[in-house]
Amino acid sequence: MTELASARIRETIFSVLAQRGQPAVAEDEPLFSTGRLDSLAATEVLTMLEADFGIDLADEDFDILQIDTLRDIEALLSTRKAA
Amino acid sequence: MAQSYNISAGFIQSTQDHPDRPFYCDAANTLTYSEMGAIVRRLASWFSSGGRPRRVGILATRSLEAYAGMLAAGLAGAAYVPLNLKWPEERIIALLNALSLDALVVDAKAAALLTPAVLAAAPDKIVIADAAPAIEPRAGQDIVRLGAVEAQPLDAPAHVDPDDLAYIIFTSGTTGMPKGVMISAASLSSYLEQSRGWTKLTPDDRLAETCDVTFDLTVHNLFLCVEAGASLHVMSALEMLAPGRFVRAREITVWLSVPTLVAMMRRNGSLKPGIFPSMRLSLFCGEPLPAAAAQAWAEATPNGVVENIYGPTEATVVCMRQPLTEPAVVTPSRGIIAIGTPFETMEVAILGDDMRPLPDGEPGEIALSGPQLAVGYFNAPEQTADRFREIDGKRWYLTGDLGVRDGDGVFHHLGRTDNQIKLKGNRIELEEVEMHLRRAAGSDMVAVVAWPVVDGSAQGLVGFCSSTLDAETIAGAMVKTLPRYMMPDPIHVVDSLPVNVNGKVDRRALVARLDEMEKAGEPAQPRPQMAMAGGMS
Repeated sequence: MTELASARIRETIFSVLAQRGQPAVAEDEPLFSTGRLDSLAATEVLTMLEADFGIDLADEDFDILQIDTLRDIEALLSTRKAA
Repeated sequence: MAQSYNISAGFIQSTQDHPDRPFYCDAANTLTYSEMGAIVRRLASWFSSGGRPRRVGILATRSLEAYAGMLAAGLAGAAYVPLNLKWPEERIIALLNALSLDALVVDAKAAALLTPAVLAAAPDKIVIADAAPAIEPRAGQDIVRLGAVEAQPLDAPAHVDPDDLAYIIFTSGTTGMPKGVMISAASLSSYLEQSRGWTKLTPDDRLAETCDVTFDLTVHNLFLCVEAGASLHVMSALEMLAPGRFVRAREITVWLSVPTLVAMMRRNGSLKPGIFPSMRLSLFCGEPLPAAAAQAWAEATPNGVVENIYGPTEATVVCMRQPLTEPAVVTPSRGIIAIGTPFETMEVAILGDDMRPLPDGEPGEIALSGPQLAVGYFNAPEQTADRFREIDGKRWYLTGDLGVRDGDGVFHHLGRTDNQIKLKGNRIELEEVEMHLRRAAGSDMVAVVAWPVVDGSAQGLVGFCSSTLDAETIAGAMVKTLPRYMMPDPIHVVDSLPVNVNGKVDRRALVARLDEMEKAGEPAQPRPQMAMAGGMS
């Protein structure tokens, strides 16, 4: 997990939030499970994770609950890197 | 004493027969029948403190509060009324004013919708999730947390007459406001009677709930589940985007969703053969089921059967079904699974413009008759009279769906009467264009809209699809199988299509997107290559 990747994820999430008139979120604040962002926004985030960070959505055991907070997403990407 | 039609009676029976079996399960909770029973009985009693309630609003979905609220409303003898969390404030207020609810159930996600203006229109009794932020009630209003409801538990289900309402579910209306479909307790009872025999649920079944409670597929899951003592596994909106893990980890045995979900999994490559060995029954409903998608799902669920089920909310969930067979019973012009044959108690007719039944093989409007027909639309006698007609002494519902009955007595869905458009004098079914686009794009995620519309008349067709191919290649393939006047132009290749809360492709959102693009000065110009491709035909 590089600083650059982290910044890129934040930028994407914050811009999705801003498009929907939502303020920025803290590291541990749920993005989706509380209804702050809808499933279309989740699709945008997934598309970025797949295209730019190589997250494999074809994995039938992919745990989507791992993208609910910024900390979760960063943890997900760092384990992927290590694997 | 006359028979009671209380819709929660099956649930109460299961709290006695299967107290320790799990009933309600989501990412955060697992409640047994006994645990949920205690909550539901207390809540039903609280709803009843001023006498039998008639209507209880459910401003909640995919949550413990939503399910406790529906079952408690039923136990108290009230109709439950799901309200959509995605509705704008103005619409929520208008419906609250029209509905005169006795009580309102609000979950943590919906708490933010309780603005002073909404509270002013809301009933005096509101129960909110324990996890919701504190909310200041208006004068005379009581806002209680679900965990703090103090009331002597209601033990016996309230007596309910057959014509009393079970629920009111809103569907999109052509007038701009949604129509509230009123379903009686007797209609729901008849529906369950007809569905028990072929779903054959047992206490060992684990059902996945993929829909919001504003969609009546949840009626099927909830009431068949509770009377069988099975468990209901409620997916969050997020889990819907990658359902594989949920189904596998929970060893789901019964699935019901819109086909778009299958298309999404096929597109990202996660729908592989054999991945869902626990599944024994998979049902698809709500939009056309492409034969290829049904077959891919069948390969993923090698120990299960797949069925396409059909019916409008106005006839209580569904009233026709078609199992996936080998070879599949396909509607030839559309590459989709047939809608099959009706439930024993329901009658289906194909009507011509003169409201007379048409012979087999002739397409017309699908009309339904029988005990599952809705009472009508809430507070909308004109719209009710328009769709519910008396024909030869029998009450029929006109679905607005085009269909045909084939020589084997199997019904086929041919599109919507209102998706038929005229373009430069040509009659075009958008579904037909979509079928060609689906084939050319090698993708299930497609949509075609009539756009722009000037003075009520369509000027052109615009296609959307998610595909690995580019628009030129797709157009080149399509023009080979489709008359030029039916070609969508342009075709937008996009990452994803907008879907509504239930996962159906949202054509209206696509039209809005095109309108916005035009306003922003990005006219969706036909490409010159298209004219060339057309010229060669």
